[in-house]
Amino acid sequence: MKRWIADNSGPKEPMLPKRFLISLFTFVALLTTSLLAQAQFKKPKIGFLPGVVDPFYQVMEIGVNEAAADYGLEVVTQYPQTWGPTIQTPILDAMVGRGDLTYLIIAPTDKEQMIAPLQRAVDAGIKVITVDTFLGDGDYINGKVTFPLSYIGSDNVEGGKIAARALAKVVGNKGKVYIQNTNVGASTTEQRGKGFKDGIAEFKDMQLAGEDYNLDDAGTAAQQTAAKLQANPDLVGIFGVNVFSAQGAGNAVKSAGLGGKVQVIAFDATKDAIENLRQGVVSLVIAQKPHDMGYLAVAFAMADARGVTSLPRRVTTGYAVIDAKNVDDPSVSRFIYRVGK
Amino acid sequence: MGDGTVARQKQLILVFSRVWAWVFLAGLIAFFATSVNIQSRGGVNFLTIRNSQNILMAIVPVLLMGLGQTFVVIAAGIDLSVGWVMGLSSVVSAMVIVALTDRGTYEPLAIVIGCLAGVVAAIIPGLINGVIIATLRIPSFIVTLGMSFIARGVAFLLSGGNVVGGQPQGVRDLGNEALLYLISGSHGGLYFLRPPAVTGEALRQLDRILQWPVVITFVLLLIMLFVLHKTQFGRHVYAIGGNREAALRAGIPVDRHIIVLYALSAATAGIAGVLSTARFSGGSSIAGDPLLLSSIAAVIIGGVSMFGGEGSVSGTLIGALIIAVMTTGLVMLNVQPFWQYIVVGIVVILAVLIDQARDLIIGRMEAG
Repeated sequence: MKRWIADNSGPKEPMLPKRFLISLFTFVALLTTSLLAQAQFKKPKIGFLPGVVDPFYQVMEIGVNEAAADYGLEVVTQYPQTWGPTIQTPILDAMVGRGDLTYLIIAPTDKEQMIAPLQRAVDAGIKVITVDTFLGDGDYINGKVTFPLSYIGSDNVEGGKIAARALAKVVGNKGKVYIQNTNVGASTTEQRGKGFKDGIAEFKDMQLAGEDYNLDDAGTAAQQTAAKLQANPDLVGIFGVNVFSAQGAGNAVKSAGLGGKVQVIAFDATKDAIENLRQGVVSLVIAQKPHDMGYLAVAFAMADARGVTSLPRRVTTGYAVIDAKNVDDPSVSRFIYRVGK
Repeated sequence: MGDGTVARQKQLILVFSRVWAWVFLAGLIAFFATSVNIQSRGGVNFLTIRNSQNILMAIVPVLLMGLGQTFVVIAAGIDLSVGWVMGLSSVVSAMVIVALTDRGTYEPLAIVIGCLAGVVAAIIPGLINGVIIATLRIPSFIVTLGMSFIARGVAFLLSGGNVVGGQPQGVRDLGNEALLYLISGSHGGLYFLRPPAVTGEALRQLDRILQWPVVITFVLLLIMLFVLHKTQFGRHVYAIGGNREAALRAGIPVDRHIIVLYALSAATAGIAGVLSTARFSGGSSIAGDPLLLSSIAAVIIGGVSMFGGEGSVSGTLIGALIIAVMTTGLVMLNVQPFWQYIVVGIVVILAVLIDQARDLIIGRMEAG
């Protein structure tokens, strides 16, 4: 196209039939190739299947939708109402069954159990990008699962370590701490717990008083934490590994009247967590970047559809650490998970 | 009004109360078939082989839990433990298979033993349920609720809350491979038992028809149909649910029957657990719990009376199908699946209303 336009705006000599024919030929040839190229590039149609309904994934959805709007793509989003392959798989199957999706952005609810269902999606011609959670060991180059295009999420071991070090600093590097975890088997929270334990082990005067699993339910988390607080009056800190865990732990500390005495480190910057931070119930909030995950995943799908071959197979999106001092600083507060009104 | 018209009206009401769920299901499928097509301007089709197979796979755990439940509810009981019993069975089967294959046991044998172990692990809590309910006369609601917590605890203790992975390939094949394979298109074909080794476009067009969990479930469904509707055992289930005292007086060994029923309910939940292990190649204690209420809803939609004495196995199948068709259809319409709960809730209440209205109208006709 450009060359043809350049030809026309060239030297002002009378348009010879021969020259006219050449430019016409060039035009037609270029038009055909550009049309062919367009035929080869099919805009991705994207399915987005988060792990469960929560503010973290809802912020991720905002990122997905923004990228989709920027690229002019269509997205089909479906939320499972509870965490787990039993609920996620029928929704996945139905999304594959639609037959019109070319890319799937999914947070697998189990790193082992979701392999077979997602292999089926890949067989059906859908390219898979995992966000937040991964399949197998998360190494899509040399690991046991290599079919996903990429994993985009937080380095959760590192996140756990950040939490441990931050907690140690607040409590003066000594005392008993406790972990509120969700489900074993979910890659992200398992790793946060591991990272936290590794981090705590760096401090010789700190001990782990235990770890409980609340199955992603804030009520259960509150109950377990309340019991732990009674059994361990000398507890100095709690690490809540995700939205519901931290919410439950924070509420239990608040209702036991131990706000400020027992430090709660919250993973995930929900409005609730920030509210607890302002009230001094939570000392530190570690924000992931779900918006980045969602936006990048769509951008990756677009790039892959365009034939980009050097997409990284693993992207870690990093963290923002929010405390009472920086919570109102716009460069930090923009990482708070804001959903809806 | 002559006697003939009354009899005909009665007949009509009876027929309606029996077939409305089928009609509802057919209407649901027709609705999705047209609306999905219209909404996507022909880009997406609801009536595909792949979708039908997805729906069949989706009903497997719900239907299996519902099958045993149908028997229990017809006998005027309820089994709330099936969700966690399914999880327990899933964990046990996975652990046994891993333990055996690690010790070098012949793989198919290890899988068979593992599956049996899972079902046995499920039957034990079922038997305990039955014995307590039958002999101590504690309401089934309470006993099975308690048992669901126990099964949950045991499943978590055994697995440490972990998914029991490391399953051999045969386990995944059992849960995912099929009786038939169809490749549509010009180079297509129909294959039996073994998936054709294809790649690219052919792989994309490959549909698995009647996957093993579906085959197993439907064989069980047929057996249950026969047992409930064609055997003395089945007739006694209705008798016990209709009037326990009368059944006792008629010489039916009611206690023994009740114990068998709860064991049966746990066994079908156990099979669901084993098949879940196979499908997801891993044993998970939380596999069944999210499906418990759906399975009870399927039983109620299917027309099983919570007061006992009424219901059928085919009704439960329809109930499970209605729920699964709804999930798939709503995803294809890209409507939040949460709407499914609202619709299922309405259908459950409607199902009971229709049954009660039928009894009321027929009662009046007979009285008047």
